[in-house]
Amino acid sequence: MTDKALPPAFRTALWRHVTEGAREGELRFQTCLQCGQVQYPPREVCGRCLADDLEWRPVEGMAKVLSKTRLHASLEPWFRDRLPVEVALVQLDEGPVAYVFAEQGVDVGNRVRVSARLDEADVAVLWASPR
Amino acid sequence: MARSMESFEGVALTTPVTIGYERTSSHSAHWFAGKALARLIEAAGIVKADVDGLAMSSFTLQPDTAVAMTAYLGLSPRWLEHVPMGGASGVVTLRRAARAIQAGDAEIVACIAADTNQPGAFKDLVADFSSFSRDAVYPYGAAGPNAVFAMITRCYMDQFGITREDFGRLCVAQRQNALANPHALLRKPMTLDDYLKARPVAEPLHLLDCVMPCAGAEAFLVMSTDRAKSLGLPHATVKSVVERHNAFPDDPVPTRGGWAMERERLYEQAGLGPKDMDFVETYDDYPVIALMQLEDLGFCKKGEGAAFLRETDLTVGGDLPHNTCGGQLSAGQAGAAGGYLGLVEAIRQLTGQAAGVAVDGARFGLVSGYGMVIYDRCLCTGAAILGRGEA
Ligand SMILES: [Zn+2]
Repeated sequence: MTDKALPPAFRTALWRHVTEGAREGELRFQTCLQCGQVQYPPREVCGRCLADDLEWRPVEGMAKVLSKTRLHASLEPWFRDRLPVEVALVQLDEGPVAYVFAEQGVDVGNRVRVSARLDEADVAVLWASPR
Repeated sequence: MARSMESFEGVALTTPVTIGYERTSSHSAHWFAGKALARLIEAAGIVKADVDGLAMSSFTLQPDTAVAMTAYLGLSPRWLEHVPMGGASGVVTLRRAARAIQAGDAEIVACIAADTNQPGAFKDLVADFSSFSRDAVYPYGAAGPNAVFAMITRCYMDQFGITREDFGRLCVAQRQNALANPHALLRKPMTLDDYLKARPVAEPLHLLDCVMPCAGAEAFLVMSTDRAKSLGLPHATVKSVVERHNAFPDDPVPTRGGWAMERERLYEQAGLGPKDMDFVETYDDYPVIALMQLEDLGFCKKGEGAAFLRETDLTVGGDLPHNTCGGQLSAGQAGAAGGYLGLVEAIRQLTGQAAGVAVDGARFGLVSGYGMVIYDRCLCTGAAILGRGEA
């Protein structure tokens, strides 16, 4: 084991909103107050109507699994100590597509619930759990 | 109906150059660019001052861009372009440079893609490749593009009934093409069994689905056909070029790319169709992407890739010579030079300078590009049809 390795914690400044949500037990995505678009990954303008009137709102997290991989290699020591790592690609009911860690039992085609959890570096990461 | 594109008549592509490849290098990208420029000048029989246009592509020039390279290489060009489009860099650069020649903005443009590969540098590149990746891809296993293309591959296999054996056929054919290419890093014959037994990397991707990062450069010159003739340079001509970025953004998983949007325009401008192509060079960062290009560019129907791969001999001398120098899957991926590889190989094939096996009597070839995995797909796509120039 690599003693000091932590999960990669480097993010854009906007990610703190997701981490704050995770701390309060919520999955928060940006909603455009002009056109209603829910977007992910975070941006400073709406990718549909270009408004900057965006609010971080909780979403339920219901999603469909589009694809999945089992990783046997990683560039980060933290993950190398934990291989294989299962990652899924999901589409939230609100529209956005996200990479998430997959709990056991999550498979392609499933309905799943996505949540934001704090990792060992105290940064939010998304997880999919069987519904 | 939009105005149709002006033709690319009168533009010549000459002097295909490859520097390297090496698995890793202690040299900078600048060194590879310098070697490439020197080779271009020597091969064309010109002097450095004749080069009045420069286009550069690289992932490892930081903190420099094409701007710094003018001072580094001692050039004073009147036309300068930096094309940071990874695997689409070659086709996009060709399009820009061809227009510069036609407009008289430059007379000889040196197009260079150069990258080094220093130990540990690949991780730094991947970890901060884009804002989206920093927040929403890299933290999920830090697997780089392998994770992204594993998702696409799995989806393709599920949706279209394609198997690992099918992708294996494409990879084995490319390795066959690579055997005679002195630049290819991987020149050991490969069997379907080797492919199937390779270790898993990001399932369903295994080791032989993934390109090997390396150092190297690819380069060519763009000038008028008149200039190429007066210099006595064999050259390729440009029949058509298209590009499209962030195509089909609402597809949750990208099973098609910008080629599907631009295919009609591409063939219409060239006055040619898929059946007229004597060879095809696709961007092969992963076999699924090569197949996607073959489908989207009309060599087979979408979803019929499995049957196509079972029935079609993709080796040089076969039904449809594809990635005739072995592609990146055999040559290695020298960063942005990987986005030039197919184009430089096409120029070789059309000017009788094949480094490996020549496609007998090739008159027309298609090159396509795919670059920059910003989130869940590459955003830049392009394609070009080239022809054999008259001496
Ligand atoms: Zn909006």
